[in-house]
Amino acid sequence: MDTTHICTCREQIAMATVPMQEWCEPYDLTTALEEGTIFPCLNFTFYKAPEGKCKCKSCSSMADKSQKTREEKMSRLAVVSFAINDLTLYLDTHPDCPNGLALFRELLDERLTLLSEFAGEFYPLTQISMVTGNYDSNQYGWPEGPMPWEGACI
Amino acid sequence: MFAYEKRLQFPVKIKNTNPDTARLIMSQYGGPDGELSASMRYLSQRYTMPVKKVGGLLTDIGTEELNHMEIICAMVYQLTRDLSEADVKKAGFDAYYIDHTKGIWPQAAAGIPFTSLEFQSKGDAITDLFENLAAEQKARTVYDNLLRVIDDPDVIAPLKFLRAREIVHFQRFGEALEMTKETLDHKNFYCCNPEFDKKKTSLL
Repeated sequence: MDTTHICTCREQIAMATVPMQEWCEPYDLTTALEEGTIFPCLNFTFYKAPEGKCKCKSCSSMADKSQKTREEKMSRLAVVSFAINDLTLYLDTHPDCPNGLALFRELLDERLTLLSEFAGEFYPLTQISMVTGNYDSNQYGWPEGPMPWEGACI
Repeated sequence: MFAYEKRLQFPVKIKNTNPDTARLIMSQYGGPDGELSASMRYLSQRYTMPVKKVGGLLTDIGTEELNHMEIICAMVYQLTRDLSEADVKKAGFDAYYIDHTKGIWPQAAAGIPFTSLEFQSKGDAITDLFENLAAEQKARTVYDNLLRVIDDPDVIAPLKFLRAREIVHFQRFGEALEMTKETLDHKNFYCCNPEFDKKKTSLL
């Protein structure tokens, strides 16, 4: 028996089969973060969970201009970085998908810029962004800003 | 290696103190189907995975579970940080408080401490992938159960996000199972253990 045979049959008794996901057009990235996936075809909601946006505390509405900018930049970083997280797992099992690869490259580029800008204008979120964002070279910088679990208006 | 980034994967901003909710959510930190268990499961299994891409997927999902563990801990912290002495007595948080005050410690909702017995690394790719498929479903059920009993929208938003991730991970582990099956004898998937009996598979 040839044990190196590549399986083309999808169904076999005593073995489970999960269909490979096909590319589906992603949500806009803000919706993707709220929903927990960039892919509408993978979003299976629970009937008890309320639909729509969370009425969580908005920091930017009550803040000064600098805080508003900071908050907006942090929000954009969260949606872009999450889309990258979700795409990473997709590409791990679909490494040749041109749609996924194109979006992945585009978002990685934006994330790099956002991290540098955030470090340059406010404080560093990663150590490498101290250099890419020209963070004040006289300051250590790493302890700056609230810790992520504080839930602070950043 | 892992490097820290100073933000949460999903923002957590909880206004109202609620030790009862904290005690329930804590189960997703140190409980049997929690995020700590999930990350240790995947990060342990990856070393011996015979299909390289599956080892890569386990690394990426295991890393994401560390992010989820941090989200859960942030929620527990914010729900209990303003706890008063009166809160401790009335809210069913008293037993936890006696041992840990407001410190964050991994245990299940019913008080059972975290243990590695809650997950498996079996050294057989098929077995481990089924373990992972089941783990994602178990965690989804816990999030369903939490969403049924919690009303605070500040808490619901991250829980909804985390629940959705379980389904995405389930799909990815299913795809990893397909990728692993392709390297095995399709007439008898159980003729050998691809992590041990390497000569029997197409992996060498």
